[in-house]
Amino acid sequence: MNRRQFLAGAGATGASLLAGCGSLRSQSARAPPLVDDRPDATYRPTHREGMGMVGMGQAGDYMVGLTYSFPHRFWTVTGTDAERVDIREEDSLHLMASVWDPESGTVLPVSAGVSISVERDGETVADKQPWPMVSQNMGFHYGDNYALDGEGLYQVTVRVEGMTERRLGAFQGRFGEAGEATVEFDFADAALEGLAYEEFPETQGERAALDLMQMEMIPTSQVPAPGSLPGTVLGTASGSDAEYVAVWLRDAPFLGDGESYLAVSVRTPYNRVPLPMMSLDGTVEADGETVFEDALRAALHPAVGSHYGAVVPTTAADPSVTVDVVAPPQVSRHEGYETAFLGTPSLTF
Amino acid sequence: MTGRGISRREFAKSAVAIGGAAALAACLDRGGGSIPAGTDDPSSLPERQHAWDAALATDDAGNPRLARHHVLLLLEYAGEGTPTDADRTQVEDALTSLERAYEWSSEGLLFTLAYGPTYFKRFEAGAPAGVDLPAPEALAPFEDPEPDTPDALLHLASDDERAVLAAEEALRGETDTANGHEMAAAFDGVFETTARRTGFVGAGLPAQNQDVDGIPDSEPVSEDAPLFMGFKSGFKGNQATEDRVTIEEGPFASGSTEHLSFIRLQLQQWYEQDSRDQRVSKMFCPAHAAEGRVEGVGENLGTDSAIDECPEDVVESSRREGVVGHSQKLARARDGEDSPRILRRDFDSTDGGEAGLHFLSLQGAIADFVETRAAMNGTDVADNSAVGQRVNNGILQYMRVERRGNYLLPPRSLRALPPADPSQ
Repeated sequence: MNRRQFLAGAGATGASLLAGCGSLRSQSARAPPLVDDRPDATYRPTHREGMGMVGMGQAGDYMVGLTYSFPHRFWTVTGTDAERVDIREEDSLHLMASVWDPESGTVLPVSAGVSISVERDGETVADKQPWPMVSQNMGFHYGDNYALDGEGLYQVTVRVEGMTERRLGAFQGRFGEAGEATVEFDFADAALEGLAYEEFPETQGERAALDLMQMEMIPTSQVPAPGSLPGTVLGTASGSDAEYVAVWLRDAPFLGDGESYLAVSVRTPYNRVPLPMMSLDGTVEADGETVFEDALRAALHPAVGSHYGAVVPTTAADPSVTVDVVAPPQVSRHEGYETAFLGTPSLTF
Repeated sequence: MTGRGISRREFAKSAVAIGGAAALAACLDRGGGSIPAGTDDPSSLPERQHAWDAALATDDAGNPRLARHHVLLLLEYAGEGTPTDADRTQVEDALTSLERAYEWSSEGLLFTLAYGPTYFKRFEAGAPAGVDLPAPEALAPFEDPEPDTPDALLHLASDDERAVLAAEEALRGETDTANGHEMAAAFDGVFETTARRTGFVGAGLPAQNQDVDGIPDSEPVSEDAPLFMGFKSGFKGNQATEDRVTIEEGPFASGSTEHLSFIRLQLQQWYEQDSRDQRVSKMFCPAHAAEGRVEGVGENLGTDSAIDECPEDVVESSRREGVVGHSQKLARARDGEDSPRILRRDFDSTDGGEAGLHFLSLQGAIADFVETRAAMNGTDVADNSAVGQRVNNGILQYMRVERRGNYLLPPRSLRALPPADPSQ
């Protein structure tokens, strides 16, 4: 399909709109100095970038959407440390792949990830496995900065690996195989110059988040609000600025006699973007006895979305649940998330 | 081979990668002293073709140091059906000539000749006697390799690039002599080369050859790095011994099995985005990074990369750390006697202008390799922890397996076009 452009929601009044200015290489214009004294929490970043559409395509069971923005700094995470990745002078853009289920529109975090290869005239320009990332306005996606070889027509191939996460309900038996899609990208410097770019000198650093961008072609990576989750919501809690919702399912086709399912949905504050790649331990007590004490595994359920869960051998209606974060989400972070969700809290429901 | 022009720039990168008479001539012109001659009695050489360790130099810590230059030739048998005795004699004469021409050492020349499952299909038995030699297959859900299916695989190795180039030219029948010794025969008419792969390992070579796809233009590979990823590997304690990888029984006793994969490396993120601590965590283990145990390329890590200092409870420690080391995962792939199961003889490559690794390993059975690779996949770690299936999971994010092939490496006495069942 033709490249389409999606802009961030109309620029906030009073913010400076810098779209169309200057050279792409002048990164200082696109990466203002970081906020001093960033809170250990989600915060409003220095700026917001618009996003353009490269294209989309079906990759096996998956649908893949490719978008781009200005090259930008981001943070990779190992353990409880976030490591800043700076923009290189040669970086042309930040390329993002979103993966979703074409039937339900659920955005899928895939542990085995994606590979993106960029070719031009049969020659490889870039070929790497972008990072799983969360961004305030772009949600969960796979992204990295890429150096292209100037303006021209590129072929961008995205390979999405098969999911190894537990898939429940209507997702059972799907997404087990890798899929591949290739889209053409007619890259011009003007494509970036036309993107929205907005700075927030007055409000940067506040405990707030940008709104998730609403796009016509690509579903938003949001998990349901607690009131929209199935089963019994045992409670919500906040830890290291992430929000946790514990859901208890006593009636589901995948459960045997005497079993219930504990799902713990972890999401960003404000935007409800799922936070994958965590190590969680769960303890379930019912009728004064510990009926479960083990790791919760990454899973996907049509109504719960991406979560961590376990089948628990009890049919108790209202168990007490403790969740211990053993490792925080190892997803990379766009600005405004790099100081949040790095702790290892314990939560009770 | 001889028709190809070579630019100065290409030659400066690697004569071995270019190959052929012109590259050899240019190498010989550069001089470099004499290459030690071989034995007058080739029958005195070890029955194991893979008996290289005693013929290799060792580093300061006592680890065998693999030869620096490598050529792999994938070969098709030119005849129809089963090989003739005349062809066997020709192959044996050619190899014996090389043994007379070059000392069996990394200063001279080391080589092996192995055979794939396709070769043994020429025989009624269809498979080698007493050895399980499966066709290559994908060994991770996230890889999709092309199978290599030649009849045979020749591996030439030397510290001296003139030796591997001249031996190759002599085997192809392009020259009548090698290292000043007459060749009694060559491979021409018996074997046709279907693919040529080359590589190198050892301090200096990766840095000299880093102007390829997959390595950023910032030239991040240090002069003392033996491999593109910047760390030493092949520690003695993390390798199976030659005894461990030798087939003990049956007609192919004293042989081994060989696996060869080609792995593309993508090191832009590794060098420009990961910090040194992240690289140490992912290559060795997070504890090595936290304790600052790795100096430079890891020459200080003795003969076992201090792997005992990495937590053994790999899944549990990965759950806490959010990252797992490549060596840490591999340390689990040991047999009942706590020995590693494979003997790596891998080396880097610039074939096709791409940074790559020819992962060559020897093991008693291909199953040893399959289990070792399963440990490296870390699927159990990814399923049960914050570690992704490739992100933070050793070095899986930076590599892609493009080709795989399995081979039987017969004992020296059976290296020339062996029958499927030599006992008959």
